Amino acid sequence: MAKPNKFIRNFCIIAHIDHGKSTLADRLMELTGQVSKRDMEEQLLDSMDIERERGITIKLTPVRMYYQAKDGNEYLFNLIDTPGHVDFTYEVSRSLAACEGAILVVDSTQGVEAQTLANLYLALDNNLEIVPVINKIDLPSADPESCKREIEDVIGLDASEAPCVSAKEGINIRDVLEAVVAIVPPPSGDTDAPLKALIFDSYYDNYKGVILFVRVKDGSVKVGDKIKTFLSDTVYDVVEVGAFSPKLQPKAELAAGEVGYIAASIKSILDVAVGDTVTNANNPAKEPLPGYKKVQPVVFCGIYPLDGSKFNDLKEALLKLQLNDASLIFEPDTSTALGFGFRCGFLGLLHMEIIQERIEREFNLDIITTAPSVSYKVHKTDGTVLSVDNPSHLPPLSDIDFMEEPIVKAEIFTPPDYLGPIMDLCQDKRGVFKNMTYLDEHRVKLDYLLPLNEIVYDFFDSLKSRTKGYASFDYEIAGYEAAKLVKLDIMLNGEICDALSVIVHETRAYERGRTLCENLKEAIPRQLFEIPVQAAIGGKIIARETVKAVRKDVLAKCYGGDITRKRKLLEKQKEGKKRMRQIGTVQVPSEVFMEILKTNKD
Amino acid sequence: MAGIYIHIPFCKQKCSYCDFCSFPNKSGYEEAYMACLYKEMELRKDELKDKVFDTVYFGGGTPSVIDPKYIYGAMKQVKTLFSLSKNPEITIEMNPGTVTEEKIALYKRAGINRFSVGLQTAIDSQLADLNRIYTARDFAHVATLLKGENFNADVMLGLKGQTMEDIKKTIDFAVLGGASHISMYALTVEDGTPIYTDYLNGELPDEDTVANWYEEGRSYLEEKGFHRYEISNFAKTGRESRHNRNYWERGEYVGFGLSASSFMHERRLTNTFDQDEYMKCVLSGFLPVVDCEEVDEPTARFESIMLGLRTAKGLDLSAFEKKYGSFFDRYASAYERTKDYMTVEGNYLKIKDEYLYVQNSIVIEYMEEEKKGD
Repeated sequence: MAKPNKFIRNFCIIAHIDHGKSTLADRLMELTGQVSKRDMEEQLLDSMDIERERGITIKLTPVRMYYQAKDGNEYLFNLIDTPGHVDFTYEVSRSLAACEGAILVVDSTQGVEAQTLANLYLALDNNLEIVPVINKIDLPSADPESCKREIEDVIGLDASEAPCVSAKEGINIRDVLEAVVAIVPPPSGDTDAPLKALIFDSYYDNYKGVILFVRVKDGSVKVGDKIKTFLSDTVYDVVEVGAFSPKLQPKAELAAGEVGYIAASIKSILDVAVGDTVTNANNPAKEPLPGYKKVQPVVFCGIYPLDGSKFNDLKEALLKLQLNDASLIFEPDTSTALGFGFRCGFLGLLHMEIIQERIEREFNLDIITTAPSVSYKVHKTDGTVLSVDNPSHLPPLSDIDFMEEPIVKAEIFTPPDYLGPIMDLCQDKRGVFKNMTYLDEHRVKLDYLLPLNEIVYDFFDSLKSRTKGYASFDYEIAGYEAAKLVKLDIMLNGEICDALSVIVHETRAYERGRTLCENLKEAIPRQLFEIPVQAAIGGKIIARETVKAVRKDVLAKCYGGDITRKRKLLEKQKEGKKRMRQIGTVQVPSEVFMEILKTNKD
Repeated sequence: MAGIYIHIPFCKQKCSYCDFCSFPNKSGYEEAYMACLYKEMELRKDELKDKVFDTVYFGGGTPSVIDPKYIYGAMKQVKTLFSLSKNPEITIEMNPGTVTEEKIALYKRAGINRFSVGLQTAIDSQLADLNRIYTARDFAHVATLLKGENFNADVMLGLKGQTMEDIKKTIDFAVLGGASHISMYALTVEDGTPIYTDYLNGELPDEDTVANWYEEGRSYLEEKGFHRYEISNFAKTGRESRHNRNYWERGEYVGFGLSASSFMHERRLTNTFDQDEYMKCVLSGFLPVVDCEEVDEPTARFESIMLGLRTAKGLDLSAFEKKYGSFFDRYASAYERTKDYMTVEGNYLKIKDEYLYVQNSIVIEYMEEEKKGD
């Protein structure tokens, strides 16, 4: 058995949003000569526009670097950038499985933050070695010493030797690289064994077909090899292997311990699943590597093209997005209000928002999205059971015996100061308190059972705002429970708008109906006639607001010099109307369908 | 018949809502500017030799701020170069505080027979807010000078701190002063004007309030014998502005001076807003036109609807049909969507009185249909 190259270090970076993860990654690349400062775009790893603008990382991006360490050896670093948000935990766990260590970045002006913890625990679960790094020491309010103490107290890591750096100013970056050399172990595995490579991501290239991102655990792979995966018997010829620099850079071979890509003229993404193991077709490994927990979408919404004729373009866009986001699912759907579109499933609300934004930007499509929903089990009086994630597919009330809703086991980590507000919030969301554990004097763990349909609305935002962002939150589906659920319909000018219907708990219906009407009243522009906005359950009105008729929209004066200007003004107004949907007699702006989300004002 | 518009871009100071092309405190330029204006008329003499003009309108800025000899000169130039109808309407805009008996006498000698006085409000504190240079008393003085003349007074709605009482007081003031025409219009807030700040800070009355005032002001004016003949224009019978009516009928007009626009043969020309460029062009013998729009037929159709429906009388359907074919054939579905807000009286299609103030929402339906048909 041959050990993999002991000068390889595979690691990722864990950080709270805005603690400087991507900036640090940029500095590491700069220092190792991976990119020259001149070519450096800010935050190189976040290559999607959306990532740069929101300052978050969504997709994991690998990069390879060479580092001449103080011990005289040259090390090969594979850095895998990871998303920070809880919705992308799936992506995180994928990258963690490809690493032996993780840099934990802590902002020295803020200390350890909530979100960091969840990912940190994931890393510890994956047996990664943690390299704490104290960032932003250039700021006047930096307090590296208390930050180190906090890392020791809260996480139980020895931070006395932790590098104190400023990624922004490029201070002490070399210390980070040295710490990686010292703390992160070289990869284990056997270079002589049959090939085992974990697929941790993939995307579709127009010329090369599907590109697999892999971490080679055992053996090696080179151009000309015949490969297959464990889930499919199709054999492919490897046409290219290489590393990320961060752009794809062909190499002769990828050996155990390395991170890189494989191109093998794979035409369909359906043939290869992320989490699957690649092996050599002529000399296959006996068993696959442990894969990932299969993710189930938990949040659903309808996505419709604003322009009905763009249905096929939307389909195309969703298919392409699915290629590198296996967690996205969709199927065709229709709505009387919105026409032909798709019912889509997501891992969470942020995931949903990101997909929506990517459709609009990367594919230049205007879309309308409906309120997010979860999947309910509907027991009909005839004994059959239906799964319903679309309120308008709910059978008539008379056919329903009872309904069940998904319940999640939620773990909330928080400093003790916020226990009260969190418990109020959970109470508010029909939560059932299970347990409370003091992890230490600074952190408490709360266990709750919560209905998922309460979480998909605004739970995460409320939790963050009530705890100043300190509480972290994770959940897993715990099963289904019977609940008194009702379908809440919204009527505009007397007509039900199916795209605005939601399924809610009976006890929440009145309040939700009222808030919805209030929000819609604000969002629907005034028109020539008065528009009643009503919420109803099974034909019974429970709330009403009125969009008053427009009273004045006229240009005061219109003389010779004004005519063209006035006409152009109207043309612009008409353009604006293109973003509207005609529902019955009412013009409804497409954003309205998301308004339904804003249920709380705290 | 066609109209002539002459732009005088000078003012004593800029009003806080003004985004027109006007220059405060540039009196040194007057002579040069007016010379160019006369020259510009000459440049278009041949082009316009077959037109008969029924109206002349001096607008601004504040035409009354400059030496009246220039107005006299401009009228002389008009009469020399162009043919006027037998009984033309010749209007000049003026602001209280800039008018003297002598000026009016000279205007009349120049042939001016209609005056338009920017009153806006009779409440001095509101005038000060608007950065207007005069007080209500100054208006009263002008009114005395204009006794017996055909004159308009502007009344503005939607001012900071304004009440309905203030508006009635302003209307009373104009009516008692002898105005035969009242232009009552809502303050339009333009980005970049000082009043925009008030708007952003929510210090101006909201649209519903203004709409209420407009309705109340309208019936108050009717009581006083002023009938509405266009969204913002009220007159005693026979005193409607012929010059403005020409715009709403999509009649032809020619504009001289900075920023002025002309409309002839379905082509709309706009002069430069830049004073130096204007003078340079004209002095080198070029028209100072910076924008030329060929109005195609669908656009022309839409414009006639948009403009025609501004008037109380409405859109002349038989005139429309003669030019573009049957209105109801072409606009069947738009009409279906909007017929609740309109009436047909004889050969005219008009917006019902109570919906005239939401004209945009109605005419926009006709624009959509227009574009779809193309």
